[in-house]
Amino acid sequence: MTPFLAILRESLLSLRAQGLFKLTMGLNLMVVLAFASIGFTEDGLSIFFGLSNIESEYVNIDSPWSKLLYLGIFSAFIVNIWLAWIATGLALLSTSSIFPSFVSQGAVEMTLSRPVSRTYIFLAKYCGGLLFVLLQVSVFTLGAFLAAGWRVDVWDPAIFLAIPLVTLFYSYLFCVNVLVGVVTRSTLTALIVTLMFWFSAFSVRTADQFITRFVFYTEAETQNLDERIGELLQDMDEAQGIAIAGMEAQLDRKQEQLDASRKAHDTLLAWQGPLQITRWFVPETAGTINLLKRALEHDASATLEDLMSGRLFDDGPSHMNADAVADEKVAELENSRPVWWILTKSLLFEGFVLTLAIWVFRRKDF
Amino acid sequence: MSEAAAISIRNVHKTFKGGVQALRGVSMTVDRGQIFGLLGPNGAGKSTLVKILMTVIRPTKIDGELLGNPIGHTETLRRVGYLPEHHHFPPYLTAEQLLHYFGGLEGMRRAERLRRIGELLELTGMAAWRRKKVGGFSKGMLQRVGLAQTLLHDPELILLDEPTDGVDPVGRREIRDLLLHLRSEGRTILVNSHILAELEPICQQVAILVKGKLAREGSVAELTADRQRWEIDCSGDEPDWAAQINGLCCTTEGALLRMTMPGDGLNDVQIVLDKARADGRSIHRVQCIGETLEELFLRALDESEEAGAASPGAASAGKDGK
Repeated sequence: MTPFLAILRESLLSLRAQGLFKLTMGLNLMVVLAFASIGFTEDGLSIFFGLSNIESEYVNIDSPWSKLLYLGIFSAFIVNIWLAWIATGLALLSTSSIFPSFVSQGAVEMTLSRPVSRTYIFLAKYCGGLLFVLLQVSVFTLGAFLAAGWRVDVWDPAIFLAIPLVTLFYSYLFCVNVLVGVVTRSTLTALIVTLMFWFSAFSVRTADQFITRFVFYTEAETQNLDERIGELLQDMDEAQGIAIAGMEAQLDRKQEQLDASRKAHDTLLAWQGPLQITRWFVPETAGTINLLKRALEHDASATLEDLMSGRLFDDGPSHMNADAVADEKVAELENSRPVWWILTKSLLFEGFVLTLAIWVFRRKDF
Repeated sequence: MSEAAAISIRNVHKTFKGGVQALRGVSMTVDRGQIFGLLGPNGAGKSTLVKILMTVIRPTKIDGELLGNPIGHTETLRRVGYLPEHHHFPPYLTAEQLLHYFGGLEGMRRAERLRRIGELLELTGMAAWRRKKVGGFSKGMLQRVGLAQTLLHDPELILLDEPTDGVDPVGRREIRDLLLHLRSEGRTILVNSHILAELEPICQQVAILVKGKLAREGSVAELTADRQRWEIDCSGDEPDWAAQINGLCCTTEGALLRMTMPGDGLNDVQIVLDKARADGRSIHRVQCIGETLEELFLRALDESEEAGAASPGAASAGKDGK
């Protein structure tokens, strides 16, 4: 057995001994079971294996959208909410003690005194920590794959992308956890700092999206106002003095709104630049998870959002206001970010943090 | 060609963050095939020195070899077994799983591990508990499992930091016997302890560390020789001729007179005995007494105090070595 396998095996036994690992695994199986309980009938969809039925003329056993809805529930809700938030939180609670316990006095000496380099030991232990998520997501994804095949006859291997993507997402957080654990030897500090970091990464992305959305909104609003002012001026020309006072007042109001909109746009642009720069230095936690949704919807003619918003069933041309335009543009922008951009900058961040942690671990006296 | 010493270190310094000087220029040599006792009071730097040898602590300065290779040479560690003080094993592992883990870290093959684990659990008296989790073990049982992991990869050199800590008297005796058995196999053993009575009968060589400095080093016989004395118990009061014999000291022990002569020379003893007999005194006991390891240790401590070693001494790396 190589030292790497020995450390992984020890990590596995450590996880097996943890109540939280078993609890999370149990919850995972329950979520998969709930997912598998969703089925489609001729009249709509059924949940809890037929205990409850929802009638729908759009989503039923004959509808082409049932597959889209089923996979959408998996990628947008189960992976995005359950795996990326709840299960990850439980995993952090469970694995935060791995490095502080490992580097505690009396435990670390017998491992460090072996004919293995500290970097090797560190990386093996790090991979051991990721086993928690890897195992949980693997079991979960296998269940979801079987459920999708059974319920909507979709045997899409892209579902298994959830395994590397969720593990990768978790590794962005775990590397911070490990660095703090090695430096402070405190489980609580490692956990708190990791949660703060997670919140910060989420905040930076959300703030960037928020500001970008308002930039698009003000652009759309400015365009609308420009058009409206043009129409008003044309109306005033055509009116030739009749009821022109009311139009002038309306024109003034629109002009004021246009000025305010342009001013807001300039202010937002001033904020957008620094936020986008900051985002370069923060791993794409949600962006990485979103890659699964992108992969599952890659060949689809429509998205879950189209289905949920009802756009799929509109016959005429869409008449979107500035809000809808802004939302769509933000979604387009996020979905158009190249995979390399999402993964490379996130992995560079992880590599930097891990290098720092290894440097500390190699130099530390135990 | 003569074989290199098991351990040969020169001028080892270790200063922890915060300025605590744990080791201040320690030099010593441990010959092969010996049981070497590393003695010293708490905070003397014994554990720090052993941890430096095992690469757990980085020295501030060091020059030396371990089994003929520079200190810190990773592959050499494959030939060394180590049991740290206050070790902590993962409580969820069984004794067998624990040994498989350490064997795996040594790169041992499964068949070899299975064979060695069986042998060592038998040797340390832990075979019956092989499938029990170590979290439920007593301190003594943990020490036994710890010794088993130390010997798992058949090391040439064994470093034991307080190996009898928490072990009952029967267990201590078994560990002493085990150490003698290991020495008879040609292994070198460095035992770090402050329980001197345990080390005295088994160590050939000792080093005494006081406040990070080497106070004494040598064979037990050599170190205690210059404090040998003769004791003669006889009847009667202190004689007039006692003052004429250089170094003779008289004390009363109950009804007996005890005459103590420094050194191991037989001639002076013969003169005293002749004079005592000439006085008509009855001789009750004549014995040559060497200095005990404990006396040597305490003397080294006293001398160190007198020399004014003002360092606060070593503190554990866990506290100060962060």
